[in-house]
Order: sequence, then C-alpha cells, then structure tokens
Amino acid sequence: MEPGQEKKDIALYVEGIYLSFGGIRVLNDISFHVQEGEILSIIGPNGAGKTSLLNCLSGFYKPERGSVVFNDRDITKLPIHRRAKLGMARTFQGIQLYPGMSVLSNILTGRHVAMKTNFLQAFIHWPWVHREEIKHRRIVEEIIDFLEIESIRDNIVGELGYGLRKLVDLGRALALRPKILIMDEPMAGMNMEEKEDMARFILDIEEFLSIPIILVEHDMEVVMDISDRIVVLDFGNLVAQGKPDEIRKNPVVIKAYLGEEDEQDPLSYKAWDKPIEDGDKNEG
Amino acid sequence: MKGDQQKRRFPPLEADTVPRLLRTRTQQYPDKIFMRRKHLGIWQAHTFSEVYEKVKNICLGLLALGLQEGETVAIIGENELETFWSEYAAFCGCAKVVCLYPDTTPDELHYVLDNSETVMVVAEDQEQVDKTLDIRHRLERLRKVIFWDPRGMWSYHDSLLMDLAEVQEKGKRYGEQHPGLFEQKVDSGKKTDIAVLSYTSGTSGNPKGVIMDHNFLLDNAMRLHANLPLKKFSPYLSYLSPAWATEQFFGVGLGLLLPFELNFPEEPETILANIRELGAGLLVFGPRQWESLASTVQSHMLDAGPLRRFIYNLGLKVGYKVAAARTERKSVNAFWYVAYPFAEQFVLKSLRDNLGLKYCYLPISGGSAMAPDVFRFFHAMGIKLRNAYGASEAGMFTTHMGDKFDLETLGTWYKSHPDIGPPFEWRVTKEGELQVRGGAGFQGYYRDPEKTREALDEGWFKTGDAVRMTDDGQLIYLDRVKDLRELSNGYRFPPQFIETRLRFSPFIKDAIILGDKEKPYVSALINIDSENTGRWAEKNNIAYATFPDLSQNKQVRELVRGELYRVNQMLDPGSRVKSFINLPKELDPDEAELTRTRKLRRGFLEEKYGEMIGNIYEGVNEFKTEIPVKYQDGRTGVVRADVFVNLIETNHSGD
Repeated sequence: MEPGQEKKDIALYVEGIYLSFGGIRVLNDISFHVQEGEILSIIGPNGAGKTSLLNCLSGFYKPERGSVVFNDRDITKLPIHRRAKLGMARTFQGIQLYPGMSVLSNILTGRHVAMKTNFLQAFIHWPWVHREEIKHRRIVEEIIDFLEIESIRDNIVGELGYGLRKLVDLGRALALRPKILIMDEPMAGMNMEEKEDMARFILDIEEFLSIPIILVEHDMEVVMDISDRIVVLDFGNLVAQGKPDEIRKNPVVIKAYLGEEDEQDPLSYKAWDKPIEDGDKNEG
Repeated sequence: MKGDQQKRRFPPLEADTVPRLLRTRTQQYPDKIFMRRKHLGIWQAHTFSEVYEKVKNICLGLLALGLQEGETVAIIGENELETFWSEYAAFCGCAKVVCLYPDTTPDELHYVLDNSETVMVVAEDQEQVDKTLDIRHRLERLRKVIFWDPRGMWSYHDSLLMDLAEVQEKGKRYGEQHPGLFEQKVDSGKKTDIAVLSYTSGTSGNPKGVIMDHNFLLDNAMRLHANLPLKKFSPYLSYLSPAWATEQFFGVGLGLLLPFELNFPEEPETILANIRELGAGLLVFGPRQWESLASTVQSHMLDAGPLRRFIYNLGLKVGYKVAAARTERKSVNAFWYVAYPFAEQFVLKSLRDNLGLKYCYLPISGGSAMAPDVFRFFHAMGIKLRNAYGASEAGMFTTHMGDKFDLETLGTWYKSHPDIGPPFEWRVTKEGELQVRGGAGFQGYYRDPEKTREALDEGWFKTGDAVRMTDDGQLIYLDRVKDLRELSNGYRFPPQFIETRLRFSPFIKDAIILGDKEKPYVSALINIDSENTGRWAEKNNIAYATFPDLSQNKQVRELVRGELYRVNQMLDPGSRVKSFINLPKELDPDEAELTRTRKLRRGFLEEKYGEMIGNIYEGVNEFKTEIPVKYQDGRTGVVRADVFVNLIETNHSGD
C-alpha cells in the first residue's frame, strides 16, 4: 500500500505506548492503527490492560511514552474535552450516567460540547437560545429513534434496567456526532436478547455513520461475529492482531488464554475462567 | 313508509367504494388534519390533501411496477401512516389487500401470502423484509418487496427490494407520463371488488381468508356511524392491527367515513403515554388491552402507600355503587349519590386522567368476550366502556347503547344502511347457535368453497357462538358452540366463561379450563401473572428463583386457590372448578400455545400438557414433569419442575 493512501484510510494511530502504575508496567510498547469504517476489538484476559489502553486513547491516562494520532493530529497531550470536540466519543464499562436525570437530558449532555449558550443566556432564553435548543433536541430525538428507546424518553435513568442504561450511555456518546466511537464492554451483564440488540446497533452505527468503532468486549461469540479486526493484549503486551479467523487459530493467543496449547477452542466461554484468576493475581 | 323512516336515520351514502370516498372527503376537507403520527418526539400532522397526494403517488408507483387489477398486495408492519397509505393506495389501484400481524412467523406468512396469491409485499422494516426474503423461493408470484423503514438495510442490494420513498418518486413520474390515470382508476373500481382478505386467527386449523368487498367495508363503517354517538374529527388512536377485521371497520372504514383524526402511536410500547397526550375521544381495544389497563391500575395501587390505597378504595367503592345504579338499574341508597361528587373529584377524575381517558367518550372493547368484572371496574372509574360484538365474516353485530344496559348481555343490534343490502337480521337455532344474514352479507372464504358452504345454513351465516336468550329477549353470550363442553355426567358447562372471569385476577394471566366426556368434574391449568405475583411474593417476603419456583410456591398456590374460590362462587355447582395446577412455564405464542391475539390453542395445549391433565384426574398430588420450550432465537430447552395438584373445597373457604 502507498504511504499516502494508507494515511487517508486510517483514522487512529497508536504508536509505542508505555504506561505504568508505580512498579507495574500496564502497557508495554503498544502500536496499532484503526482504519476508517471498521470495527476493531481489543481482547485479552482480565488485567491485560484493555481498559488502560482505552483510557490512554480517550485521555483519562497520559502515556509515559508513545503517541496517539487521530485524523492526522497528535492528540497524546490533549485534555479529554478537547478530544471530545475532535469527535472522539466513548462509553463506559461501569455506566457513568446522571442517575437523577431523564434519558432525554442525559443524551442531551452529549451535545454539551457543541452548545454555544452560556449559563446567563440560557436563563434569559433569547430566541436564538430557543432555536439552538430545538436544533440539539432534534439531534437527540434522532438518536432516540435510532436506538428505539422512545418509550423511556422521559424516564429517570436511575430507575432503568442495566441493559437500557447501556443504551442510554451509547446514545450520549452518539450525541457527540463522533468521528470515532470507543466502547468499553458494551455487553457486560446483558442477557442474550439485549446482547443481540446491542450487536445490531453497533453494526448499524458502523454501517450508517461509517465511523470506526473500537470495542473492548468479553463475549467472544460477539467479538468474532462483528469485528473486522482484533487486537490481543496479554500482560500489557500486544501479542497478536488480525482478522477474527486468524486470531482464532493463532497459537500465541491460544497460549495467552490457556497457559498451554489445548484442543479446546481457546475463545469459547470456558476458556475465560483460567486467565481471569491469572489476571487477578497479577494485578494484586 | 317504514322504509323511508329508516332511511332518514342514516346519513346518505356519499360513495360506494373506499377510493371514491377518500376523494370525496379530500374535496370536502382538503386542509383538515386526517392523520398524525408521533415522530422524533413531535406529533406530525398530515391533512386530507397531503394524504391523498401520498396515496396517489404510492398507487401510481405500484401501477408503474406492474400491479394489475384484482391482484393482491400484502402489508405487514405496525400501525403506521405508511400501513394506511399503502392500503388506500392498493384500493385505488383496484387491487386487494391482506394485512398481517407484525409478529407473524415465516411459516404463517408463507401460508397467507401463498393462499392470497400475493404479488407485492409492503413491509415495515428489516425484520419483516428478512422474513419475506427467507420464504421468497417458495412464492413464485412474488414480484416486489417494498419497505418504508430502511434502517439496517443500507447494504441490501436485491432487485426484489424497493424503498417506499422510491416507489412514490416513481409514481410521481409515472403520473406525469400518464395524466388522469389515477382518477380513471378511482372511477373504474366497483363496489363488489374485493377490498380486503382478512385472515381469521385460526384457533383451529389453517387461517381462512375472509373476503370483504368495498360494499362490506362501507356497510360496517356505516353500521357504526349510524348507530353510535360519534363526533366528527374525534382523535382516534389506531392500535389494533389492521390484520384484524375490527380495525378495518373502525380505522380504515369509519375513519374515512366519519371522518376521524387517525393517530398512530410512536411505538407500540409508548401507547399509554400516547393515549394520554392525545386525549383520544374514541378508543377500540381488544379485551386483553383493557384487562391489562385494569391490572395496571391495580398493580400500581398495590405499590401505593396505605393512605393513598385507602382513599382509592373508598373512591372506587362509591364509583361501583353509582355505576351499578346507572347501568344495571339497581336501587342504591341516596348516600352514595351525595358521596359521588367527592369521589369523582378526589379519586375517579385523576384515575381517568392518569390513564389518558379523560376525554374518551366512546371506549370500546372488540374481539372476544370480556369479563363483566372488567366492565364494572371501568364503569366505576367513570369510563363508560362498552362491548362491540361481531365476526369477521359478517361484520359488527351489537353494542351496548345508551346509559342503561345489562353487562351480561350482548346489547343492541346494529342496523344496516338500506341502500347497501337487505336488512340485517339474526336468529337463534335450537342448538343455541346465533345466525345472521343481511347487509352486505358473508362473501365466503378466499379460494375455499367447501369451508364457505360449511359456514352457511340456508343463507344464514353460522357464527358458531352459543347464546342464551333471557326472558326479556336479550342475548347472553356463553361460549363458542364447539367449545361448550359436556362432562362425563352429561352436564354442559362454558369453559371460556370461566376463563375470562379468572383472567381478571391480577395474579392470573391465563387459565385453561379442563373437563370433557371422560372427565367427571372441571379442573384448571393456571398460568400465573409473573409480574404481579412476583411483586406480591416480594412484598410478603417469599423467596423464589425462577418462574417454576414461584408458580409452585405453597403460598402462591394458596393465593391462586383463593382466586378460584372467588370465581367458583359465580358458577352453579356443576360448573365449579374442583382442582388446579399452576403451570411451571408461561404460555407463549412463539410456541404456538396461544394465537397472536393471545387466544388459547386448546387442542394443542391439551395434547402438550396431556400428562399433567392425566395426573389431575388420577388423583396424583405431586409429580415431576418436563416441558420442552423454544426460545425466541430458535434454541430449545426443557423446563423441569415438581408440580403440585391443588384441590378446592367447594363448601367452605379454600384455606
């Protein structure tokens, strides 16, 4: 591939990222890239550094070395809200919504970075403030329609079930009109039906908005089904990357998951039991 | 002379086909709002002329795609603007329409599309399109699948598919090339053209396509128009699926004839909120929806604090007394009349407001029979709910009219417009079956002359409903003739009658009443309401893990026993339920245990739960059982449970 052409197709570069907490090295020289319009999954046992990597991308952690380049711009040092303005949106593993506010208001907060009105203007409510509110409300309503959550529009988030909260969290991320979407375990704790719905929404977002999506997810069935490419982390190292089929057969990945090579499909549910213990020990 | 007098009660027939009626209405009220749908959080209105334009473009688009006179267009989806536009458009193109429930399974869909000779399908979304594409190779006649919600189908490239927006564009261009074609089509339609094939839900065997021509649709719309106290441009919320004949009469026919403001809910789940926003004037629900509204109120009140509950009970008690005085002509102490304004002000008005029924002047329950308890409950709240009774094959029969009526009876007979056909008449046979004739009349089942012959008795349509005539000539609906059952001692009892009364309990979702020639007494399989019973269990500190666990809990069984005991008090001793089992699994239409309208599929159920039923009558007290289940995603599994048989003493309280 020509270098120039490659650049155009790639939305996000991660180059040689190092991160450590005290004496523990969490991320060790991680490099990969995300192409336009693809779903990239990051997998690995517990404690492999997946969430830390996401935090480096979205700006919650600052890596000690290495750089993150988003749409040809080095964003390694940018604060979180500036990244949001550039079009980087993220959903969280533990849901970080405002539980006392309605679904509508929660999603509307995603529009905050695009609002021009200040506190005083909003209080006086000039006609242009009113017009701006309508504009943002429309965007939010389109998202509500997209995610099919009309029936809970006015419900207080605190009283919703877990699966619905995850959808609201996604809705708020979409309200940013993101150019890249980062999702941390969007399906954790969901039942079969909710998982199917979420998988469909993720595919719809990729197809309809044609934006790249970075996904951290534990449900291997889903990861293998919907990802275009997969990056595998183990103890802070990037051990493999490639298409789902390649990853499934990769001996290094099998080893990372089971500790030794085995006949069993490494990416089945069962295979997760062991690495979880390993991971916990490592972190403790 | 008499004929003239009768004619005077009816408004004139302004058109003899639905398309011509649509044109007349558009000329009369071009700028009046005809349809509204909530989209992006706002009610978006469409005037008559806008709707006419849409219908015209869709119709021309269908013609451009090669739709011929008399061919069939199938419409599958929720009640939305596009559902109605497409239906009117197909009518205008002199084609016939078959509407399907959105949760129709691929097999059911295949049967109906094949039987109705469908050439084009108008589908709502990806779900319906996928279903249709799955069975396309078994449908040789199918030429086009049109959809109106493209979500998720951005990368579908199938020559069979087309977006409804594109069809409209195509129609617009086709209309420019062929000026006057649409009007010509509207003019050429005959009143005897088949308009709709309405497939009966088929509690037994394959569904049958009931033929409805334009005359029949308008006959029924006119029956409602002339006999009910309706106000023009009342907001009406279209909720029943047009796959059901009732919605064809009310929404499609009467909606245009009166006309209404037809409103479409944002999503089926937002219906309660939508009713309230609209302040719907006229509401037609099936008994299930009314029953669920009633249990919504009751379960909310279970959650309320003691003071609120006390006030609610007090207010409702007054409501019950006064409603009974009004509808059933019972004499009531003057005290209740004095208390009524207070009850109205502090309880009943807010109840109606919270349900969104504050402006509802004509709430109607259509379809199957509903327990009088539910009626009494709504009447106590000041909601004058009435039952509309009829059959797909012969239209609307009766409704309670006026303020005073006996809830147990069917009500007053509708009269048919004299210009449409012979007067609408009824008779009761020796076997107790109700038969009707007249009006536009029964036109047969599509491509099934044999079934059509079976349904007729010397020109009378056999409704298959068992009725009993009271001393003052009123009819009481008992059950389906074939469902009245005889016990081994020769006693005939009405199972459905008992079932509907049991369903009113907030703790019982469904009940299957057992008893036939081999069985000496009546017993029941109960499907408990997991939500309400679960809440009750939580409140009473009863621990349970799963549905089987909850259903077989000792206290829950006692609770259900109490409910059955209460219902037994309404029955004569021979019909009383003597024992019951709580099913360890919920009944599910996906497993074909219920029809899509949630009617029980009795034969299938009695076979599936045969072992359980055998145990009841063999006097087993406790046994282990395994029930196969099918999940929504197609996987199968088995529910295992220890099941208890519970006896009900008929003389003293079940405790």
